[in-house]
Amino acid sequence: MMVNLYPLKELKLPIVAECINPDIFQGKKPAEIEKLEVWEGNKQKKLGELFKAEIAETEDASENTVVVIHGDISRVKRIGAGMKNGEIIIKGDAGMHLGEEMKGGKIAVYGNVLGWAGSMMKGGTIEIHGNAGDYLGAPYRGSTEGMKGGKIIVHGNVGREAGAHMHKGIVKIYGCAGQFAGFRMHGGTIYVQKDCEARTGACMVEGTIVVSGRIESVMPSFTIEGVKKKVKIEEGEVVETPFYLFLGDLTENGRGKLYVAKDKNPHLSHYEKYL
Amino acid sequence: MPVVKAVTCPVCGSLCDDIELTIENGRIVKVKNGCAMCEAKFLGYCCEHRVLKPMIRKDGELVKTSLKEAIRRAAEILAEANYPVLYGWSNTSCEATSVGIELAEEVGGVIDNTSVVCHGPSILSIQDVGIPSCTLGQIRHRADLIVYWGSNPWSAHPRHIERYTSFSEGRFEKSAWRGYVTKIKALVGRKKIQSAIKRLVLKKPSQISTHLEPTFVSPIMRKGRKLIVIDVRRTKTAEMADFFVQVEPNKDYELLQAFRALIRDQELAVDKVAGVPVEYLEDVADAMVSCDFGALFFGLGLTMSGAKLRNIDAALSLVRDLNMRTKFIIMPMRGHFNVTGANTVSTWQTGYPYAVDFSLGYPRYNPGETSVVDVLLRKESDAALIVASDPVSNFPHKAAEHLAENPLIVIDPHMNVTAQMADVLIPSAFVGIEAAGTAYRMDHVPIPLKKVVNPPRGILPDEEILRRILAEIRKIKKKQEAA
Repeated sequence: MMVNLYPLKELKLPIVAECINPDIFQGKKPAEIEKLEVWEGNKQKKLGELFKAEIAETEDASENTVVVIHGDISRVKRIGAGMKNGEIIIKGDAGMHLGEEMKGGKIAVYGNVLGWAGSMMKGGTIEIHGNAGDYLGAPYRGSTEGMKGGKIIVHGNVGREAGAHMHKGIVKIYGCAGQFAGFRMHGGTIYVQKDCEARTGACMVEGTIVVSGRIESVMPSFTIEGVKKKVKIEEGEVVETPFYLFLGDLTENGRGKLYVAKDKNPHLSHYEKYL
Repeated sequence: MPVVKAVTCPVCGSLCDDIELTIENGRIVKVKNGCAMCEAKFLGYCCEHRVLKPMIRKDGELVKTSLKEAIRRAAEILAEANYPVLYGWSNTSCEATSVGIELAEEVGGVIDNTSVVCHGPSILSIQDVGIPSCTLGQIRHRADLIVYWGSNPWSAHPRHIERYTSFSEGRFEKSAWRGYVTKIKALVGRKKIQSAIKRLVLKKPSQISTHLEPTFVSPIMRKGRKLIVIDVRRTKTAEMADFFVQVEPNKDYELLQAFRALIRDQELAVDKVAGVPVEYLEDVADAMVSCDFGALFFGLGLTMSGAKLRNIDAALSLVRDLNMRTKFIIMPMRGHFNVTGANTVSTWQTGYPYAVDFSLGYPRYNPGETSVVDVLLRKESDAALIVASDPVSNFPHKAAEHLAENPLIVIDPHMNVTAQMADVLIPSAFVGIEAAGTAYRMDHVPIPLKKVVNPPRGILPDEEILRRILAEIRKIKKKQEAA
């Protein structure tokens, strides 16, 4: 079953719509979907007051529900929060907390996404074809329970603190990353194909961060361990270029691995005297 | 002429409560014990910028109106709004903030205080790490090592050093004032001699040094109360310090983490951190570990630069690590006189200290999402109430622009920039001068504020104005429900 959602107007107020979830839409008729409750600013409304729902039966025999949202929904928060199955395709920009605590299924965004995408996710896949905001995969304020599984792929750039407090799973960023990528990381893998701002891996205890581009600086609380010829990102993806391997963060007695491409970072060559 | 003693100064977070005011014909004519900022407020509060009549905007112009009409219009704006913001609260009493939170809940709005642009990052990190702290009284009597990081109390909290830290006479620690005077005299003498040698012997004009190297002013390991200043520039406070570390701008996080590693006796694989040689850092780390009672005060130089909240995360972690070796506490240098009170009251009533969103009917908190600056930058709000603050002068340009586009209600004693943009402007009495109340000092000690003179005729305190708006909103909502 495929559910198409079309915004009925330009959305200006913040909207909380955790009901946009394949698990909730499963087996419902358009009229039933439009009756689901959402919040627009401080007013409770029906989903049908903001979106028009259409159902198109697919030839796909699988029972998975596919939700396709057409248009800019950057004001809509918590889409796909806690989803377990199915797929959400967003043809436009998406709002905060996309796929928060999702356990399975897939979300694809053909646009940009605001902060806390994939926050605290436990499984499934989020693929963002534009840029992602701050706190990608990171927990909400005050929590230390970051990603515990699943995969996030971003084809653009990401903001601050991507993968903060991460325990498991993988975050692949094919653009640049802001500062504090992998802050207080306890496990899992973060791959940044392009450049990375400073303080990458600050306070990390375990886990792996791979930076193929230029890194602004390495924290003084990391020590150099050696030079590696290649690094495996995940099954079937290996980056073959020399990498400096740093271990840290010393301040947390950490043994996290920070790989930084040697060729793109001549300013780190002074570390070689410690090898 | 009557003299009112033990008045609390409503300017900065130090809340000095030893001010003496002389009153003549219902006006303050003399201020004793106060700093320059304190004198300026007590003597200049009734200046030409004072608003004396409520105003509403008609045909693009602010025109005078009755208080009843202004309150009715303000209530209408807030009752109709779908996502109003209520901002300010740090320059008013806890009692007014308490009513403000009730109002925010009633209208389903976002209530935020000025922490969002000052020590908001500190609060986020305190929630992550925790904070070992104490009262300023304990520091005055016991602290033998004071560290000011990214703050310049000489200018921003002028009596902080004199009342609570290095120059205060404690029960167990003596004031470092005499030592400071001797040091200044020696420095002046040395500068004169150097200048004379250069002019007479070398025949070159004296040059001002702008190097980034840290400077020993006196031996760091000497006995008695010591002062360390860490900042990006040599401030007046830095001039007084026993040891000054000049950190490269936006590199505080690296320096803090380096201190953490050194305190854990780990070796650093670099020669310099943030432009400071590691050997100097080792001396400072030794001084921190070997003190009996240390106190680290940090200001906006730490909260609003480079790593922002993570600077504070590292500073709190540093103090946590230091407490494994000695006694150390940490305290933010709060700016507005009752910003701590705004956080405290908000925490009592909602569970969260700032950036609280009531739009779903219950309090939600996620700075970055529910903080007023971010709400305005995303252009989500559709009405605003500003109490005792001037965000148009301080917020990012785009945020201020959206704020001015909203129907705007301002409650303030002065005609500031935000008030000039208002659709409804209600003048209020100065808390701590014309109205009594409670404020929280930076160490979370509540201190009463006195009413020393009467406000101008017809001017009410913030609390009373807010209560009247709240009552009016409830009337409107009752009518709507009945209809």
